Parts: sequence; structure tokens; C-alpha cells
Amino acid sequence: MDTATHMLRTGQRGALFQVNMALRDLRSSVERIGLAWSLASHDVVARYRGSILGPFWITLSMGLMVAGIGLLNAKLLNVAVPDFIPFVALGIVFFGAISGTVTEGCDTFVGAAGILSQTSLPMFTFVWRTVLRNLINLAHNMVIIVAVLVYYGFWRKADVASAAVGLVLLVANSAWAAMLVGIFSARFRDVPQIVQSLMQFAIFFTPVFWLPERLGSSRFVLDFNPFYHLVEAVRAPLLGKQLEPHSYLVLALMALAGWGVTFAIFTRTRRRIVHYL
Amino acid sequence: MSHPVSISVSNLTVRFPVYGVDAKSLKKHLARVTVGGRLGSSLAGATEVTALSDLNLQLKAGDRLGLVGHNGSGKTTLLRALSGAYEPDEGSIDVHGRIAALLDLNLGVDPAATGYDNIRLRGRIAGLSAREIEERMDEIAEFTGLGPFLSMPVKTYSAGMQARLAFAAATAVEADVLLMDEWIAVGDADFQKLAHKRLLSLVERAGILVLASHDTDLLRLYCNKVMRLKGGIASPVADIRKLDDLLAA
Repeated sequence: MDTATHMLRTGQRGALFQVNMALRDLRSSVERIGLAWSLASHDVVARYRGSILGPFWITLSMGLMVAGIGLLNAKLLNVAVPDFIPFVALGIVFFGAISGTVTEGCDTFVGAAGILSQTSLPMFTFVWRTVLRNLINLAHNMVIIVAVLVYYGFWRKADVASAAVGLVLLVANSAWAAMLVGIFSARFRDVPQIVQSLMQFAIFFTPVFWLPERLGSSRFVLDFNPFYHLVEAVRAPLLGKQLEPHSYLVLALMALAGWGVTFAIFTRTRRRIVHYL
Repeated sequence: MSHPVSISVSNLTVRFPVYGVDAKSLKKHLARVTVGGRLGSSLAGATEVTALSDLNLQLKAGDRLGLVGHNGSGKTTLLRALSGAYEPDEGSIDVHGRIAALLDLNLGVDPAATGYDNIRLRGRIAGLSAREIEERMDEIAEFTGLGPFLSMPVKTYSAGMQARLAFAAATAVEADVLLMDEWIAVGDADFQKLAHKRLLSLVERAGILVLASHDTDLLRLYCNKVMRLKGGIASPVADIRKLDDLLAA
């Protein structure tokens, strides 16, 4: 019997070889992106199996949260509901997408221990699984976004093309963060707790539930909050505002630097991750 | 590019960092760095175990190798290395052929999902497309012999039923190289017969089987060659008829 399938593994050392192997891992994960998609959609279906609404629980609970916080905070902060609800809806949904990807990123490799320890599947496949799973969740929340924007008349003002660019930047940045915390979580079991606390902390320090204008002269501190740029990149265009150009620069540099560092760490740890598990 | 099915392992050494519960804590790790403990090997915070050392193995189409050895002798490590999960620290592993590893029953199994869903999941992991899986679903379902249970969550299955599901799904891929750990023995007599048939068909198709087991009868049934591992060091590959001599040695 002849076969075209071939696997060669060597104990070769050297940085160049490891970079090549890491790139090969990335390449084959892209070639088999369908597998990551199957795993991700299975995850979403599995989480809501047996429930009446299924994955639309994502939509419903997000809808309740938006309505509750929107109405309460509009009153507390003394702002107009028609302006505040769309702001809160966009903020919660897109911050949720970032924090979901990063928090679940911790489980990227740990959760795949069974598969990783007996197959030669690319590691990147599991990163895409985490990212795609969160994109599926996000898609369910888009129902709310569209409803809110249409209802409050932002639909005509919204710059969907710029928001799409913002979304690409948001995903590109969340993805490297997910992979990075995934590697560290496999090695150090404290990391998921740290990440979770950080994300909880971040949502209160990012203008999601409150308006950035409220900071007054201290507003410049927001420039040091990466989550602000990430959320704003999608939220501002959809609310008919323009994103400040330096935000694009920050996000692009962050994506480049983040992927650079993550890929370097992956190159060093790739062959060891399976032993961490 | 086509090539006959083969496994070629030369000078394989697999070292295994064992990260203790302590070593996984970030605090310990940071403490070690700040205190100025020895960097380099101790930075990893792990004890290294040499699980396999300088192992050589050549298998060609039609070979069925039995692995024997005490617990912890390196059988599973060798299987995991052959599956591509563990990379060599030294030496090389060269496998021509589609590999199916049946090492852990829980591979990609979602206990809350139905048998059918798990077959799909395993099939996808094994490299089948969604369509290929649907095309083979009836055949796989029949082979499991689980009938209506396939529509029930896998968590309701017994160990033997899970083994049937895993074995059926994994061998449905038309693997050229089948790597198996012990557990095949968990199925009942009926299943053993079915598994036997399928393994024979693999042999007829001139695939390669590597089976780790403590059960000498099982090894005699399926294998034509045998290798003994002892503390990560392998004996030369011998004919299965020498199994008793090898175990006595």
C-alpha cells in the first residue's frame, strides 16, 4: 500500500529550525481551518445543548444586560436614554467579545490536552477554535446591535466599513492575547485567575458603562488603556463618530508587537506545550 | 509523491520535563528567578525524565509490533511520539502513512454529546471532511453495534461501549498506521471479534500496527513482532515466537 501522507519529526535544534516548525504549524492550521470551525461550532452547540433557546441564550442575556445597565446608568449619570443605550450595547458586546476571547484563551491548550497528546494536529488550530467560538457568540449578539442601532436611528449615520476595519483589528489583537495566555496558562496554573481578575478590572476602567467625556481633563488617561482603543475602533464608527487616527496606529502597532512576541514565545515553547498539559 | 507505508525511528530520545504541582505555580517560578536561583535548567522548574533513550525501530508494511514492558517503561511515550504528539529530543521519527492513534479513549470526546456527534467530532479530528463522515456514518454506526444508543449522550455509556465508539470512529479513517494502547481489551467478546476482523483487514491492506499491552495472548493474536521496553531502553525487535524468551530476559 502506497501513501502520500508523511510525518517527519526530528530532534533538530536551532532557532531557525524552530521558527520553521512554528510557521509550518501555522500554515497547516490555516489549511485545516475547517477543523477549527467544526470544533468551535461544536463548542457553542454543546454549551447550550438541551436548553430551549439554545445559543440564543447568548442574545437574550446580553439583551437583558444592555437594557438593565442602559436604563439604570442613563438615570444615574443623567444622560439621554436614546444616546446611552446604543453606546452601552456596543460597549458591552464588543468588550465582551475581547474579554471572552482572552479569558477562554486560557483554556486553549489545557482544554485540548486529550487531543494534543495523541495527534500531530497544529497547535494554532486550537487558537482559531477559541477565536472562532467567540466570533460565533459575537454573531448572536449582533442581533442586539442591529436592533438597537435601527431603533434609535443610528443606522443611517453608522459607518459600517470603518467598523469592519475596527473589528478586524479587535480580532487580530484578541487572538494573539488568547494564544499568549493559552501558553502561559498551560505552564502556570495561576494565569487563568490573573487573566480573569484583570478582565473584570478592565471593564470598569474602560468606558463601557460610562461616557469617556465624564473624565473631563483626565481623559488622556484613556489613551493608555488598550481596551479603550479596541472597543472604540468598532463603537465609534457605528455611532457615526470618527475614530481618532492615533487609535488606528495604536491598534496596528499593538497587533504587530503582540503577534511578534506571541509567535516568538510559541516558537520557543511549541514542542513543550504538550508536556505542560 | 507516493511512498510505501513505513515507520523509521532512529536514535530516538524523548526527555520529559515533569512539572510538579509546585512548579506550575507562578509564585514559585518568580521566586526562583528573583532569588537568583540557577537559571538555565532550573528556570524550567522541572525535573527531566528520560522516557526513551536511543531507540531504533524499522517497520515496513504488514508489520504488527507488540510493545511489552512494565508500567512506566516508555510504551505509551513511544506511541505518543509515533503519533506526532511528542517531539524527539534527539534522533528522528519518519512515518509514511496516515496515522490513527487510539491511546486515550477521551480523545475529543464530549461526554454530553451523542454518540453520533462524537463520531463526527472524532472523524473531523482524524482528518475526514464533514461530507466523508456523513457518507460513512451508517457503516461506522453499524460497526459500533450501539444501535439506538448512538443517539444518547456518551456519558451514559459503559467503558466497553465507549471503547466500541472510539475504535469504530478511529479505524473508519482507513489509517495506514494504527497505534493502540492496552484498552482494546475492554470490549466484550462480540466486540473483540469485530475488532479482530478490522485489525485483520488493516493487516491485509498492508498497514502497520503498533500495540502496547501486558496481555501476552492479545499480543500473540495480533502481532508478528515484539519489542520489550525497560526503563526507556528498547530491546531489538524480535519475532513474536520469542515473546516468552524476551519476557524472561
